[in-house]
Amino acid sequence: MIKRRTFTLTAAAVASIAFAMPVAAEDYPSERLTYTIAFGPGGGNDRMSRTVVDVLRQYELYANDIVVENREGGSGAVGFSYVSRKAGDPYRLTSTSGNFIGTPLVADTDWTYADFTPIGLLASDAMLLVVRSDSDFGDVDAFVDAANAGRVTIAGSGSAGPERVTAALFAKAAGIEFEYVPIGSGGELVTALTSGSVDAVVANPSEVSGQLEAGTLTALAFSDSARSTNNPDVPTFKELGYDFSFSLPRGIVMPNDLDPAVQDWWIATLKKVIETPEWQEYLVTNGMSGNPIWGDEFAAYLAETSAQYRATLVEIGAITE
Amino acid sequence: MLADIASNLSLGLSVAASPEGFLFLVIGAFLGMIVGLFPGFGPAAGIAVLIPMTFGLQPTIAIIMLAGIYYGSMYGGTITSILINTPGESATVASTIDGYPLAQKGRAGPALVMQAIASFFGGTIGVILITALAPSLANFAASFGPSEYFLIIAVGLLMLTTMMGDNKFKGFISALIGFAIGTIGVDVMSGQQRYTFGSPELIGGVYFVAVAIGLFGIGELLHCIFNGQHRQPAKRLRISFRDKEFWPSRNDYHESRWTFWRGSAIGFVAGVLPGSGATLGSIIGYSVEKKVAKDPEKFGKGEMRGLVAPEAANNAASAGAMVPLLSLGIPGSGATAVLLGAFLMWGLQPGPLLIVNDPEFVWGLIASMYLGNMILIAMSIFAIPLFVKFLDIPYVNVVPVIVLLCVIGAFAINASIVETWILVLSGLVGFAMKKYGYSPAATVLALVLGSMAEETFLQTYIISQGTMNLFWERPVSLVLSIVLLTVIVTPIALSILSRIKGGTSKMNKGTP
Repeated sequence: MIKRRTFTLTAAAVASIAFAMPVAAEDYPSERLTYTIAFGPGGGNDRMSRTVVDVLRQYELYANDIVVENREGGSGAVGFSYVSRKAGDPYRLTSTSGNFIGTPLVADTDWTYADFTPIGLLASDAMLLVVRSDSDFGDVDAFVDAANAGRVTIAGSGSAGPERVTAALFAKAAGIEFEYVPIGSGGELVTALTSGSVDAVVANPSEVSGQLEAGTLTALAFSDSARSTNNPDVPTFKELGYDFSFSLPRGIVMPNDLDPAVQDWWIATLKKVIETPEWQEYLVTNGMSGNPIWGDEFAAYLAETSAQYRATLVEIGAITE
Repeated sequence: MLADIASNLSLGLSVAASPEGFLFLVIGAFLGMIVGLFPGFGPAAGIAVLIPMTFGLQPTIAIIMLAGIYYGSMYGGTITSILINTPGESATVASTIDGYPLAQKGRAGPALVMQAIASFFGGTIGVILITALAPSLANFAASFGPSEYFLIIAVGLLMLTTMMGDNKFKGFISALIGFAIGTIGVDVMSGQQRYTFGSPELIGGVYFVAVAIGLFGIGELLHCIFNGQHRQPAKRLRISFRDKEFWPSRNDYHESRWTFWRGSAIGFVAGVLPGSGATLGSIIGYSVEKKVAKDPEKFGKGEMRGLVAPEAANNAASAGAMVPLLSLGIPGSGATAVLLGAFLMWGLQPGPLLIVNDPEFVWGLIASMYLGNMILIAMSIFAIPLFVKFLDIPYVNVVPVIVLLCVIGAFAINASIVETWILVLSGLVGFAMKKYGYSPAATVLALVLGSMAEETFLQTYIISQGTMNLFWERPVSLVLSIVLLTVIVTPIALSILSRIKGGTSKMNKGTP
């Protein structure tokens, strides 16, 4: 048994030494690519993945077929687990989002961000602190004063998601107490605020952009390290003196144990993807800021975001050390 | 006001009735019916899969086609509810309660015609209401917070009692099973996992589709085989348009003339509220119908009104769900969430300004829904002989096909084998429920509504600092609380009253 496995391994090693370089350099996309989306159709991760695939197809950047499949379930646990188990397969791609970092921290998954080959962070997805325009909160300071004077409620999607982490980081930086209300989907989140049930929501820009444009809701601050290109009037928390930033990776990863040449091929290809007008338009319509980083730098970013996320979840008591 | 509506609609019709618009509307409606026919393959998945087909089309035309798939599936979805007792989605669960018994009584033809007419009626009333009320309704939906949602869901849960069948005790047990399944998954408040046993597939909870297909579809098959139905020769149902048996009787129309209106009105209001609009609408529509009927004992045994009410309601609700989507950018269901994604893909920003910035789009879509409903009723009625033919096939040959469809449907949810196991398990449970007189409909609906009720209740509880003051402090909540209390108290008060009356009359008899 052991002998046989050694033989297979040796054979595989020989094969990869013999064929890896030419395969990656010239013939690399010689097979069908499977792009797995770990979430359901219509969501943010799905939209980004399908935009990338459409650009790849339209500009013929990938010289073979591309199959897109949704493997939904367990806040990404199912889909990412599926891709992580394809270690060594150079024809597998998947997109990251908040749950790529968050789910392994709160749930017992058989993967973490470290079980993937990082290709690139294509955009970052930060959160807005949003209030009703007819409320008394003209700016973040007014909101902080209200929190010090009494009780404020902040709602966001999910109990241990990025919205809650953002709210907790803000409260820590401002030295305030707040009551967090977890609310399911984007639609109910918006009506919780418009109906006056909660004082503020932490939301993804795309969830509230219609209301912001119409003036019914007002964004007080943005959680990224720099202002968003879509909402240039909204200051960052940092600018306002609340020293934190938090954003989520909208990036692309592949399974582990890949030939470095495959990683390089995809970095080069995705650099072409983000140059296209279609991708730029995607960033604008979805309210994202594009600040791409690649390869090892992306890996470092993932490690840092995960650590920050973990520390906050421990602090709010969602997980134990 | 009327002049505004007329000019808006003529603008819309100029888009929707263009040759290209009409062609893709027909394609969308047709695909929607097909999507609805497959149990487990709902409108959300259908629209998502077919979005790539619309690349290269003009945005308005593309959305008209995708919306056609959405409301078209409401027509198709009932066909399986009636013919094989398998609702394709939660909005058609209520339609199986009387739809399937109708087919068993040999009235599949009239049932299918009536469901098409009810769907058309509900859908059209819904569109008329959107046309007239869209701007003012948006404010109504925006005033709904967690406390209001909880109360609406609580009304829906109360209505469950009317679906529990004759034995209320068994009905309660059935609903409790549904609530229990609903607790599986991540707890919304703490983020802790409940009853997942370390399985990542269960973190998101048990999706009702696999449970519904199992309880209804597989459970029904097992029960039929248990009764030896597969040994009986197929009954030849010869159905053609010339046949008198094909069309609903004069009595069917006469009895349900008000049902159409009630179902549509209830469905539309439920649809406007984000959440589980069409499902809640169809449940409440059914229950109200049973409550107002002078002969409620006929319901559940193949009563036409019991089919018309939920059908008018779920189609009106699918139209109503367009109101928060178009006016607030708030999706009320999985399918409208996918539509919202499609809007964004074409650079249409849903929100209060959509109707101002893109009137051709909004009114084009609304106008297309008038035409779409007309196309769908024609399509449904012409295709009925084809669907009814299905019942001519000997049962021995039908069973494997249905099992295959059910398994594919369950697997397709997440491309995971876990749902297939859930299907098998629910199939066995469904068989036992049918055999011993429990109510699978109560289980499925408790599963859908239970977790929503839990979430919204806890949200209200946190917001009002561990009290329940929110339920009467907010005006809309107060009104809903009063409605809820009235629904609970009235039957009790009535029974006490009648007991007192009964008591006094007995006493009168006792003293000559």
